[in-house]
Amino acid sequence: MPAASTDSKDEVSLRQYADLLLRYAVRQKRLFFIAGILLLGNIGLQLANPQILRYFIDEATQGSPLSRLLTAAGLFIVIALVQQVVSVLATYASGRLGWTATNTLRSDLAGHALHLDMSFHNEHTPGEMIERIDGDANQLGQFFSSLVVHMLESTLLLVGILALLFREDWRAGLALSVFSGIVLAVLLSMRNIAVGRYRRTQEAVANAFGFIEERVAGREDVRTNAAQSYALQGFHWHIRNWFRKYMATMVMFTLFFSITRFSFAMGAVVGFGVGVYLFLNDLATIGTVYLILHYTYMVAEPIERFNWQLNNLQRAAGSIVRITELSNTRSKVVDGPGVQFSRGALGVRFDGVTFAYTPEEPVLRDVSFDLRPGRVLGLIGRTGSGKTTISRLLFRLYDPGSGRIVLDGEDIRGARLREARARIALVTQDVRLFRGTVRDNLTFYDAETPDERLREVIYDLGLEPWLRELPNGLDSELQSDSGGLSAGEAQLLAFARAFLKDPGVVVLDEATSRLDRGTEQLIERTMDKLVEGRTAIIIAHHLPTLARCDELLMLDNGRVLESGGRLELANDPSSRFHALLQTGLEEILT
Amino acid sequence: MSTWQYLLRACMVYKWPLIVDAVLGVSMVAVLPTLAALTQRSIFDSLTGQSTSGFGVWGLVGILAGLGLADGLQQAVRFVAYSYGAFNVRALFQRNIFAHIMNMPGHQPLPHSSGEAVNRFRDDTQFIHDYLGDITDLLGNVILAVAGVVIMAMISVSLTFTTFVPLAVVLVVAFYVRGAVSRLREKSRETTGEVTGLVGEAFNLVEAIQVAGAEDRVRRRIDELSEARMRAAIRESVLLDFLRGIGFNIHVLAMGFVLIAAGQAMRTGEFTVGDLSLFVFFLSNVGAVGVGFGEVMNGYQRLNVSIERMRELMPGAPPEDLVRPSRSFLYKELPETRQTAMKDGEELERMDVRELTFVHPDSGRGVRDISFCVKRGTFTVVTGRIGSGKTTLIRALLGSLPRQSGEIRWNDQTVVDPDRFLVPPRVAYTSQSPRLFSEELRSNILLGLKEERVDLPSAVHSAVLEPDIAALENGLDTVVGPRGVKLSGGQQRRSAAARMFVRDPELFVFDDLSSGLDVETERLLWERLFEGADRTALVISHRRAALRRADHILVLKDGVVDAEGKIDDLLESSEEMRRLWRGEVDAQEGESA
Repeated sequence: MPAASTDSKDEVSLRQYADLLLRYAVRQKRLFFIAGILLLGNIGLQLANPQILRYFIDEATQGSPLSRLLTAAGLFIVIALVQQVVSVLATYASGRLGWTATNTLRSDLAGHALHLDMSFHNEHTPGEMIERIDGDANQLGQFFSSLVVHMLESTLLLVGILALLFREDWRAGLALSVFSGIVLAVLLSMRNIAVGRYRRTQEAVANAFGFIEERVAGREDVRTNAAQSYALQGFHWHIRNWFRKYMATMVMFTLFFSITRFSFAMGAVVGFGVGVYLFLNDLATIGTVYLILHYTYMVAEPIERFNWQLNNLQRAAGSIVRITELSNTRSKVVDGPGVQFSRGALGVRFDGVTFAYTPEEPVLRDVSFDLRPGRVLGLIGRTGSGKTTISRLLFRLYDPGSGRIVLDGEDIRGARLREARARIALVTQDVRLFRGTVRDNLTFYDAETPDERLREVIYDLGLEPWLRELPNGLDSELQSDSGGLSAGEAQLLAFARAFLKDPGVVVLDEATSRLDRGTEQLIERTMDKLVEGRTAIIIAHHLPTLARCDELLMLDNGRVLESGGRLELANDPSSRFHALLQTGLEEILT
Repeated sequence: MSTWQYLLRACMVYKWPLIVDAVLGVSMVAVLPTLAALTQRSIFDSLTGQSTSGFGVWGLVGILAGLGLADGLQQAVRFVAYSYGAFNVRALFQRNIFAHIMNMPGHQPLPHSSGEAVNRFRDDTQFIHDYLGDITDLLGNVILAVAGVVIMAMISVSLTFTTFVPLAVVLVVAFYVRGAVSRLREKSRETTGEVTGLVGEAFNLVEAIQVAGAEDRVRRRIDELSEARMRAAIRESVLLDFLRGIGFNIHVLAMGFVLIAAGQAMRTGEFTVGDLSLFVFFLSNVGAVGVGFGEVMNGYQRLNVSIERMRELMPGAPPEDLVRPSRSFLYKELPETRQTAMKDGEELERMDVRELTFVHPDSGRGVRDISFCVKRGTFTVVTGRIGSGKTTLIRALLGSLPRQSGEIRWNDQTVVDPDRFLVPPRVAYTSQSPRLFSEELRSNILLGLKEERVDLPSAVHSAVLEPDIAALENGLDTVVGPRGVKLSGGQQRRSAAARMFVRDPELFVFDDLSSGLDVETERLLWERLFEGADRTALVISHRRAALRRADHILVLKDGVVDAEGKIDDLLESSEEMRRLWRGEVDAQEGESA
């Protein structure tokens, strides 16, 4: 038995189970209580019926009056019917208990993961996150609804049966208790063996679905690069990897189940052995032999269910390990004590900021600039020179390695993330829309924003005809990946998002590069309006967009190459900006 | 094709493990238990002295133990066979769907988000996997029931008949609630899909969500959808449990009936305690048949739904494609990637497009009657305002969107299926927002091409990617993260350009490649594109650098060609071109565009 191969990381302590239970299931006291009552009723009814059978057999074999037998048979039927009702109610109660716990857990996980900084998200595909936050939470949902209710039920039922057997004869009770104890001990000792393998299977599954999600989402790129055979090769690799881990796990489970089944068969043998012994020694009636046998078979059910729950527990253990890992991941970017930012335009200052996504490879080196409220800064530089990183740092998607960023005179690390982000708006070239209504896409599910405000912004952007064409106005569903919108329209929606925020600082990251000149012109006024009375950082490659900048900062390979007033730089023949203007692309001279 | 046929065809591909599973399953569920029940009856009857067997009471108890051992061994073999077979059947579905999606015209929309598609890959195929186990169990249970009925009838026909009444009730109830189960199932799958879809999108958009400060609102939205899903799931499970409960309790009810009817016979000894134990045993399993039958019937409805949901991932495919036998590669070497070579005479001389039309059925927008010609070694630019149909034109040309009319000719050869023909090595294309995958940059560029057979360094050079790669931690071996997030937007675009260069196509098609590139990089890129001898390109752009270089410009307006020619002529003759060039479209006109 490869028990030794179980690595310690797979072990889930009882404490962890208990913590989760306390946190998510037991908290719903009333439901927990109701489920408990139904459960006890169910157990009582299950234990009662064999007693009636015994009575019936003994009376019948002794030739008692038929009316007694009929009464017993009638009672037997009534109990069966009541048990049906109780059982359905119990399912409802435990289902609610389990799902409420699952939903709370999912909500906690989603909330936690959404708040994690981008360095986490860069390492995890959305497909993987689905598997974590949906797959694992569901797995644990089963754990809650089955484990809490059914495991308790199984335990009580087992105890009840053994107690009733002791009542018949101590030998019967003892034999079955010893037997149950041995079976349980075997099962418990095997508990964690399969967990490691199961966890590896789940990892393979998550990777496979992460792969599939990316390829499905990027199928146009696969297709236009004639890379289908490559995508299929990767797919086959992932399925094979999954298959190997899966079979290894299944062989373990098989062993587990086979041992269980064999044990039950032996249980019947033990039950019969005791019954036959007692009967032959005149210590029991034939009805009692029957009763012992019936209870022996009934022992199998709670143990089997217990075993099944352990199986779920093992699966859940895998999920618990991963979920604990996720909830223990701390965001590197955390809330500060809080800052009251001024209304209106805010000043932005970078003091010797250095930053690297991966160590040894700084993307920004000692970048400093001071942008007073209401001023407009143009950021220029080769792609990859660190321009976008500056905006990411300002939003605190990451924190700088050294140096500090000051917003409105306060270090932004002192502010709550929400406070700072609420005062800054970003428009990028890469507009991300999602499946949902126009309203949801504009407000990110903020129901507070009045429709008039949304319409006003949409009209300001010249999107009125577009909105009017939509079947349900603001409630029309948009597809993800900008399906159904032209790139320009999607871009305009991104501007709308920024307007709705009414920020103190605006960051435009190549915001108009996708617009043709006609449309760009069309929203010039709107852009002016967005920038007006606000501090702005404009990342752009072509000059018309830069025309509204007061100051320029040129980055190269993460360093400030040049900075100063736009006009001064343009008129200084020794400046690099001046040289850039002369590179021969008339476009930038406009 | 009916749902059974899908299942049957898929199972036939992996029949041997499934047959082993079925045979052992039947043995486990029907044969061994029947023998055990008969043994048990003999034990009771020996005790009461109503019959004796040659084994003696203790011998009979020994036989019971032997049967238990056999059962445990069979279980082991069966479960492994089942796992193997069911995994393979599931993988067959996944394989066929995935292959279809990869081979679908690029921009043909899937009816659902990629997160929802993954949900179907996961849960609906899982259901098939589990359902196969249910069927085997049902098969065993039916055989057990038949054996039980025969044996019980040999003891007492009238008592056996009594037990049929409640069984019939189960079947009738199960039959009538099938529709309800299916509806609840659908609802529960749908609400699950919504949760999964939102979670997937939320993490696709996580940066935008954080910037918007919408983390908690998205979480609340997830909560709302989760709530709806809980209601649907509980309804479904209560109904299923009710059915299962009926199935289970039905045997208890049937036993009640037997007790009522057998009271008299037991008093007289015609019906022994052994007989009663046999009846109890079989009746509890008749119940299992009811349960199993109900489960398979209800499961069938769920299977319908699942098959339908998987079929939705294969729009336009013949039904049998879902279960077409295809190679699994679970043990074999992984398949080689294909690298199509150019055939003689396929070198581009000219490509003619005649009266190409594609109109979006929903919006009525699109392009109409577009004709132009691209000659070898030339640079063609498509320009126009937002919404003038530039991207639609390129997609209709390349077959990403199905053109409604028009002809495309490649060297005077009619292109019937541009989606398959206008691909590398003939044509390479990069969309406005190319996607990278979470692999090394190198694999992202090669996408399966053999490195030794292509010129990767020169592709990297042409795409002006060298300085970036030098700055990356592991150079070309840097893993770029999901969707390439570790690279900047411009780096992603140029990586996509490198993909094109490494394929050395006859025709380069760029949809607005230059956006996101700085002036210097853009200049280098165009320069290097035309360094190559005889390079031919068709690009969408509104940048002067491109327009000035163009041998031919198509000016699109409202989906038709407004003007065409060289930039100098166009600036003279076309008002629209002048406006685009000067960027002097005033707001009012812009709105009507």
